[in-house]
Amino acid sequence: MTTATAEKPSSAAAQPAAVSFPPQAKAAPTKGTVLLVGLDLGTNKSCILAGPPGSTDITVSKVVPSVVGYVKDGIVDGIITGNARILYGEDALRQMLHVELVAPLAEGVISHPESARDFMQHIRLLADPTGRTEIRAVVGVPANAGEQARENIRRSAQGIFSRILLIPEPFLAALGFRDDSRVKQSGYVDPVVNSLFIDIGGGTSDLCLVQGYFPTRDDQISIPFAGDAIDELLFDELNRTYPNNGLSRITVREIKEANAYVGPSRKPLDIKVVIGGKSRTLELGDSVGNACNTLIDRIYPALTTLIASASSDSVVTLLQNIIITGGGSQIRGIDTVLQKRLTDDGYENPKVRLAGQDFQRYVAIGALKAARAARENQWQVLLA
Amino acid sequence: MTVLAEALRRFEPPWIEVGRVFRRICFLRFEGLAGEAQSIEENEFAEATARALGASGSGPEAESILRTVLTEERERVSQAIAFAEVLVPLLAKRLAGLPGDAAALAEPAPRREKARAFDPDRGIADFIDDMLAQERTG
Repeated sequence: MTTATAEKPSSAAAQPAAVSFPPQAKAAPTKGTVLLVGLDLGTNKSCILAGPPGSTDITVSKVVPSVVGYVKDGIVDGIITGNARILYGEDALRQMLHVELVAPLAEGVISHPESARDFMQHIRLLADPTGRTEIRAVVGVPANAGEQARENIRRSAQGIFSRILLIPEPFLAALGFRDDSRVKQSGYVDPVVNSLFIDIGGGTSDLCLVQGYFPTRDDQISIPFAGDAIDELLFDELNRTYPNNGLSRITVREIKEANAYVGPSRKPLDIKVVIGGKSRTLELGDSVGNACNTLIDRIYPALTTLIASASSDSVVTLLQNIIITGGGSQIRGIDTVLQKRLTDDGYENPKVRLAGQDFQRYVAIGALKAARAARENQWQVLLA
Repeated sequence: MTVLAEALRRFEPPWIEVGRVFRRICFLRFEGLAGEAQSIEENEFAEATARALGASGSGPEAESILRTVLTEERERVSQAIAFAEVLVPLLAKRLAGLPGDAAALAEPAPRREKARAFDPDRGIADFIDDMLAQERTG
């Protein structure tokens, strides 16, 4: 298969080539027929924002579980609405008994190309139910994502989006977190100027120095340990502590999402669950704490490595601006535990804070901002 | 059993074997090889645990040693993996850039001499240009 993209040459040297670009690319759609999409393609959840170019309007804003459900053979007519063969997101999860659930991504990158393509089709329909608008999408990728991972996204989007730009997620999170209306106000600490972002998702934890220029490879560390790995540790621990408990991975994830914490043990943490139809109370203080504290042990060395690589004249301000986003930011105590660890290790007055309630959307917000700012010659054209 | 006696028993061969097998299980789980980890847990680990518990007379004290060994080994593996994740890419990069220069390995992580000056007039499109330039140069 040939490459899925035709990247236009960029910057000044590109001008003559832009004139002679293939006719279908030159024939720009009339105003109103292009829709820009910011897409955070996550291992567990994806966030899609869409809006027209040349405005700040957001016409679509959705968070969708990244899952595709293929309806099993032999399901009686009428069980599935419209007798659909493929379900997506919440619909697929609601019908999990009747579908084969497939997660298109693992550890932040596409692991099932066919289902990824189906999922992209679904995203396209969410953004543009008419199916007739040209879609240009900026898609977040894990920091340090390899070329194969990027190519897999392009191929999944081929024929679905017309143009695409792949940008590392933590940088998009910084763009999304930035309050553009306050950038020129005195006293506003612009996260794009000097900050360290920790984006903890389902598949990867991405750390990125953002210091007023596009982060280099050395400024980014991606760790294949995040929410899913915590689920797995907790699942194993529960099976050791309470053998034959029958709890599914989805239930274990729900337990984690409701009770995750880091730091000293918070025993007793009594959780009511239904096992074999009977209600039981499990004490999970240590199990949840041990699994979540492993995340701290994994990301802390990466955090200090990035701090160590910052210049001495920027590091003091940088330490004041460490921001945690993504689903992992919902783990209780994660900001205070990281801050205390830095303080205990002698770092100068560190401040670690949480991005806030929009933690699921910052990457997509940044992606939509990037889509609106991208020059024509920066988009990669996806060949249908 | 005194704390000292319990601590010393952990260094007896049957418990060292339990720790060794459990470390392998932890590594496999971290690598996402849950099936292989489970197989070792059900066979090699179960046998090693039974031997160690038997040698320690079973009972609550032996169970306490088992819990301590597993907790310690889990922490050791976790710290080793975290350390390796940061160290290995740095080593690889330095080895690739400075073949044969072993002294370079002893140097601390490179720190930028000076922060790049921030240009407030640079917009998102300029950042994207930077990104595309980086991609072209690999």
